[in-house]
Order: sequence, then structure tokens, then C-alpha cells
Amino acid sequence: MSDTPLDLLKLNLDERVYVKLRDARELVGTLQAFDSHCNIVLSDSKETIYELVEGDLKTTERFSEMIFVRGGLVALVTTPEDE
Amino acid sequence: MSFFGFDATGRKPRERKQQGEEDSLDFEETYQGLGDYEPEEDDLLNDETFGTGADLGTDFDFGYGKGELGAGSGSGRAPAPAPVSYASIANAKMNRQADCKPGFEQSLDMQPMESLWGNSSGNQQQQVQPQAPTQFQAPPQVQQQGAPNVEGLAIQSLDRQQQMAMPPQPGFYGMQPPQNPGYGFIPQGFPQGQYQQFPGQNIPPVIPNQFGNAGFPNQPVNPQEQFQQVPPIMYNQTQGNIAHHMQHPQMAMPPMQNQPPVQPQQPHQQQLPPQYLPQQHQQDQQHQQQHQQQQVFQQPHSVDTAARTQAVRSTQDYEHSNSPTPVPTESEQVPTPPHTPREYRRGPRRFGTQDPLTDEELRRLQIRQSKVDKILRHSGVMTPRDKDFITRYQLSQIVTDDPYNEDFYFQVYKIIQRGVTPSESNKDSIAKAYLEHSGHRLGGRYKRTDVALQRMQSQVEKAVTVAKERPQKSKGGLDNAKEGVLGKISATRNSKAPRKQLQIPTHKEDSPALSSQSSSALDEVSESLQGVDINAKRRRSSYALSSSVDHRTVLSRSGGRKFILSLIETVYEEVLELEAQLRSGQQPDSSKLWEALHVEDHGFDVSPFISILSFDKGIKIMPRIMNFLSREEKIKLFNCFFKELSHLNVIVISSYKTTPLPTKDQLKKMELFQSVFLKIIVSFLSSSAEFLEVMSLLINVIQNNNVSFITTSRIGLNLITVLISRAALMKQDVSRGKLLSSVEVSTWSEVYDRLFTSLETKLTAIFPTPEYMQHAISVYEQDSTQYDQSYIWQFLASLALSGKLNHQRILIDEVRDEIFEVISKAEELNAPSQQDPKLAYQRNKFYQDLNLFLNVMGLVARDGEITELK
Repeated sequence: MSDTPLDLLKLNLDERVYVKLRDARELVGTLQAFDSHCNIVLSDSKETIYELVEGDLKTTERFSEMIFVRGGLVALVTTPEDE
Repeated sequence: MSFFGFDATGRKPRERKQQGEEDSLDFEETYQGLGDYEPEEDDLLNDETFGTGADLGTDFDFGYGKGELGAGSGSGRAPAPAPVSYASIANAKMNRQADCKPGFEQSLDMQPMESLWGNSSGNQQQQVQPQAPTQFQAPPQVQQQGAPNVEGLAIQSLDRQQQMAMPPQPGFYGMQPPQNPGYGFIPQGFPQGQYQQFPGQNIPPVIPNQFGNAGFPNQPVNPQEQFQQVPPIMYNQTQGNIAHHMQHPQMAMPPMQNQPPVQPQQPHQQQLPPQYLPQQHQQDQQHQQQHQQQQVFQQPHSVDTAARTQAVRSTQDYEHSNSPTPVPTESEQVPTPPHTPREYRRGPRRFGTQDPLTDEELRRLQIRQSKVDKILRHSGVMTPRDKDFITRYQLSQIVTDDPYNEDFYFQVYKIIQRGVTPSESNKDSIAKAYLEHSGHRLGGRYKRTDVALQRMQSQVEKAVTVAKERPQKSKGGLDNAKEGVLGKISATRNSKAPRKQLQIPTHKEDSPALSSQSSSALDEVSESLQGVDINAKRRRSSYALSSSVDHRTVLSRSGGRKFILSLIETVYEEVLELEAQLRSGQQPDSSKLWEALHVEDHGFDVSPFISILSFDKGIKIMPRIMNFLSREEKIKLFNCFFKELSHLNVIVISSYKTTPLPTKDQLKKMELFQSVFLKIIVSFLSSSAEFLEVMSLLINVIQNNNVSFITTSRIGLNLITVLISRAALMKQDVSRGKLLSSVEVSTWSEVYDRLFTSLETKLTAIFPTPEYMQHAISVYEQDSTQYDQSYIWQFLASLALSGKLNHQRILIDEVRDEIFEVISKAEELNAPSQQDPKLAYQRNKFYQDLNLFLNVMGLVARDGEITELK
């Protein structure tokens, strides 16, 4: 039924997913669409950007109603921890 | 070699650049100053080669043909590397015609390689055959002896023409720039053309004795020979210059050109030299005669219809006649034009451009030449068969005998892209695409694209056969062996063996330990909360401590999250399939869909169907599912739903007890459920449900769930309200035409009693805590400042409606505090700002909601007082 990784991703359509991106970024949002390149469309997403500013961890959060994530940036996709 | 870079005319540098990249620079620098060079060891043979009379600094230009020719010569005297391309040859022809003695060269042009292939019979041989005769007959002509054979007539006629052309000599004088002493002046001009046609003849002048002795022993001493011997040095120089240009194009017969001393006995050389050598001499020394030549050949142009051989002969004759002794013999034959029509056409035009090599032309020539050189570099390395083999092998990697199975997506894409019907030959398109893509020259110079395409199609045909026959075992063998030789063979191989999918091992989603643990924990919870299960056959857990835990455990008890999600996917697929069937007019078969819903599946602690409803997308698909379910299936589905209501995720999150602080998402989920699934239930109940069916649903709720818990949730309360009110409406509905049987009535009262009993003393629990209400308002960002309690009053109203008087009394007693609280709230709003429409509305809403309940019992709340409804 679910044989490939992308099938697993398909199961999470319309569900909240946690997407870890390159460059120390995270996204949590509702998975709206994806393709074989792991390009992802998320709705109601929250992006968290982690930065080191002079040795201190600085996090920036951004909210998007709908966001397209290029597949090349995706490191992992999983179900989110409780929001 | 000292003579390589030497530039007597001042134009050499450019030529040298043209001749060879690696050498030109050196020569430039080294030989810029004439005579400054030191003697070189290899100059020993110079005398032998070029004659002793050559001055130092004389411009020997042995350019073109460094490569093969130079190597072949073995003399160590490699001429300057200047490959001559066909382009330059072509240009040379043009230039030659522009020369003042075009006829001369053209006539030579008429005698192509045939002379090299020996004499053979046939019309074609006329060109060749006459040569030999002329060679031997020419001398007699020169000595005023008519040609003995038939061809001689033509020659004579030409001779006559030449004579006739004599008068206008002066006029043509100005048109002979190429005839100037320095042949470097026309580097690629006429000499080139000459040599192209008479490759073997280039060198003989260097060895004057050659033809006299070996080649033409019988030849009498004629003026030609004299010429050869008299100015040998000069001649050599010119020859060198000429040869320089000539060698490359004549790759077919290189050795002869460069190695006259080495191979003096070459038959080619011997065949023609006599005619040729004199020409050179004449060019160099007898300008006036050249004018005559020009004349001669202009006239032939005007006379159409001619055999090339005659032209040749005439030239030869002419040369002879031009030699010291005048030509007295004239034949009366009709003039025989020496030119083929093509050359004839060319001739006059060329005359227009007197100086053939302007700077621009030279540059263009060089460019063309380099292009052609590039092309020629590896030309002929592979035979056509080789190419076919490569093509076929490459094609065999991409074609397949069964395109629709192995190349499905491309086929579909093709149809979409071009609208090509699938019936069109797959092979044809492959051939076409391959041709276009691989940059094969379509059809070559004849532009015969169709031919090329046919060829390629046949290649594809063969490739398909090859692909078919290619044994499977060849995976490691043949292909690997050819890898690298025929280019990289992709690891993804071909259409038959595409890249493997990632295989993920399937494992159990949830450990049984966790499952049992949580279920036992839930049991504990339900026991401790003293669930009011009536006649419980299957003891169900009431509710969990927190929604998240509950959700997960519920999922795990119904097969796991992944299982449920995949069920949802299956359901979606089935629904889409069924809808497609519906569109196409088929009778949809919903058995698979029903199976996927797992409504009747009792293999799990919690029905997967309930878990499906835990997901938004599971809820969203429900309306479309309903279109395909039979009434019986719907009833089963709703029974299942109400039976396991307390496991429903949305109940859990809508209960203020389990989810005291709901998130916005959770509130949205509740709303979604209400707007989708509740609607379905209401419409089903009000349209097609029988009274007993409603009863059974209610019984299912009461028997299998902790009703008091469900009533703490907004959704649960809604659902129960719907059931009760529907039952009450049915009971009262006289228009139905059939009165409820006594059994039904008694069943209803019994069910109601059970329900009321389960709620009794806990009715106040249906009111959320003020904190919860406040939180919900803040999270949900509603316009209203008050939590909408209407659903609670609706429930109470429907409960009261079906209840007897004592039930109503109990109700009022239990919720009296809430009633008064609402009234006081409404009055609060009334006091400060009566005018505010928003507050006024809110106040009205309080009373409306309250009166829903009170009106059932004949009461009405108004202006802070409760009065009897009149």
C-alpha cells in the first residue's frame, strides 16, 4: 500500500508535517502538495530560522498562509511534535 | 629550412600564417630580415633539389601538405605545413579563371585524375588518351606537322583559334597580374589548379631528364624540353611555389609531388610532363604568348558545345605552337570549344575580378580553409559500416519492442505533446528524433533528408531486432565490454531496467506493549471516572486524560496512524474511481469502498472508521462517500459511529474536560466536523431514517459510551441533541401518516429514561468552565465577546421536550443556577450601554438561547424575569 518514501509522504497530505530544511530552517505546516523532487507546498506554515549571532542562538519565526518549498532544500519530513 | 619563411614578395607572412600555426610564428621572427640566418645542416640537399642557381633568400614556398606529404617524402625537407582545403581549391579554380590565361588552366582542369588511373576504353578515356598522343605528337606539331589522329584535328582547330586571337594581345596585357614574375603573388591561384589536375607533373621540371629519358624515350628534342632545361632554376622556384599550394589537395597522389628525385619513374609523371612543363616556362617567360592563350580561350567560350578533351588538346597544342617555332598548321575543322558548359559559364565571370586575392578574400579563404581542415581531420576514419554499427548500438539502448509497457510515460507525453495518435510508428519517431538530436547531417550536400531519414529508420529497425535478440544475460557481459568503447552506457541502463525504487522495510508501526499499556491505562481511567455504561457488552474506555494521548492510543488501537492514513488514501482512490464510473454512466460498485471504510471490521479495539474521522481529510471525504453507500450501509456506518463516539477524536478535543484549552486548529477541526459530518447525520436522520433506526443509534450511544463525558463536548452534545430532537419530532409528527406503535413508544421512553439517568446529577457538567469559554473566545477570535452556549440550551430543550414533567423539573433544578447566570449576564449587558447594537444583540441572544429551553416548559425569560409563556 505504501511502498515508497513518497507514498509515505502522500499519507500525510492534508496533515501537519514538520519539514527540516537546509541552512538550519524548519517548517511546520499542513502538507498540501508534493512531487517526486520533494518540492512541497505547505499551508498555514510556521518557519523557524536558527542563526548564530555572535555566539548566541537566534531564532526567527515566519508564518505563511501558503508556501512552496523547493525539494532541494528539504532535509527531512516527519510528523510534527505537538505544536 | 631557410627557404620556408622567406618572403620575396612581401606577402608571404600572411600566407605563412595560413600555412601552419606552429610554424608561422617562428618563421616570422627568424626570417624577417632576409639573409640573416645562419646556414643549417639540412641544407645539404638543397642544391640537388632546387638547383644550384637558387639565390639565398629565394622564396621557395612548399607550403601545403606538411602532414602526409612531408612524411611521405622522407627527404627531411618537409615543406611548410599549410593544409589546403577543398575550399581553397575551389577558390583557386575561380582565381585561375580570372587569370590572364584562363584557357590554359581550364584546359588542364579538364584532365583530372583519369590520367592517373591508366588508360582504359570508353568515352571517358578520351581525356586521358589524347594526352599520350599529344605528348608524342606535340613535338611534331611544334615542328609544323599535323596531328595524325582524329583528335589532332581538334587541336589544330584550336591552334587556328589561337592564331586568330593573336592580334588583340596588347589589350589583354593589363589583365595578367598573376603572370608577374613572382608567383607568390597569387599564392593559391592558378598554379594550384594546374597541379590539382596534374599532380604528377609538378615535379618533373626539377628533373628535366626524367621524361626525356625514361618517360618518353622516343620523344624528339622539342622546344618544350629546351625550355625545361634552360631556365631550370626559375622554374623550380615557381614550381615550388605552386607545389606548395598544391600538395594538400592532391592527397590521393602525394608521394609523386614531393619526391621527384626519389620516385622519378612514377607513371603519372611520365605521362604528362611534356605538355606541362612548357606551360610553366611560358608562364614565366613568355608573357606575350600567354596573352595569346588567354585570347584563345576566350574564344572557345563563345563557341558552345565542346569536349573537354579537345580543350585539353588545344591547350597542349597551343603550348607547342607557342614555343619558339610558330604553328603554321591549320586545320579547317569547325571550331571546337574546349570548355564544358559549366566552365564556360564560369569563365567570363571570373574575368571581372582581376586581382583574385584581396585581403578580404584571403581572410575568407583562410577561414573556410580552417573549417574544412577541421572537417577533414578525421574524415574517413570510420567507414559507413562503422557508423551504422555505432548508430545501431546506440539506438538499441533506447528502443524497445514494447513501448507501451516499458516507455509508457513517454508515449503518453508524446500523445499529449503532439497529438500524435498512438498508431503512428514509434520507430519512425525515434529515427526522426535521433537524427535531429544527434546532429547528423541531413542528407549531405544533396539535402536528401528523406534518404537520411529512411536510413535512420532502417537503423532503428535493426536496432529493435538487436534489442530483441540481446540476451538478458548480457547485462554484465556484452554491454560492459563495450562500455567506454561506444560511450558511456548508463547505469540506469535502459527502458527495461529503470532505476530501482528505494525499498523501505515494512515494520510494525506500534509495539504491542505500548498498545496494551495504553489501553489498560485507559481502562483504569474509565473505571476511576465511574463511566455510566448501561448493559455494556463491550467495555469501552471513556476518555483519556489528554487529547493527544487519547488520539494516539485510539489510532494505535485501530491499526496505527499509517494504517488509517493509507485507508484514507484508499478511500479517496475508491471514491474517485466511483465518481469516474458515475460520470461514464456505469453502475458504481461500492463494495471496495465499503471494505476500505472498515465499518464492520471488529478486528480492532477501535473501529478504523472512527479513526478515519479523526483526520480532517477523512471527514472531508465523507459527503462524497455517502453518495455511494446504500441506506443499509449508511445505517451500519452511523451505528458504528455512535457506538464508538467517545473514541472520536473530535469529541475528545471538543470536550472542555479533555481539552481545557483548545487550540485554534482544534477549534477549526470542530467546526469542520460540524459543518460536514454533523450535516450528513442530520440530513440522513431527517430524510430517510426510520424511528427505530434513530432509536438504535441512541441506544448505541447510551450503551457503549460514557454519555456524561460525551455531553461535556460540544460535538457530542450536538450529536445527542440531533438524535433526541429527531426522535421527538418523529414521535410527534402526525403527518407521517402512521402512528408509532406502542412498542416503539415504549422503547423510546425506555431509551430516554436510560439517557436521562445517565445524565442525571451531571447536567451541570455540560456547561463548560468559564476558563474554557474565555479561552475559546480568545483563540477563536470571534466577533462575539461571549461563548456561544446555544448548543447547550438546544440540548436541554430537546431533552426537556421528550421528557415528562418530572424530567423537566429535574432539569430545571439542575440547571437553575445556569439559567439565572445567563439572565444576570444579559442584564449586565443591558445596564451600561443600552444603545450599543452589538451588546443589545448579545443580550437578545442570551434570552433567545435561554428561551429555547424555557419555552419547552411553557416559560419565557424576559427583562430579567422568568414568566409563564402565554
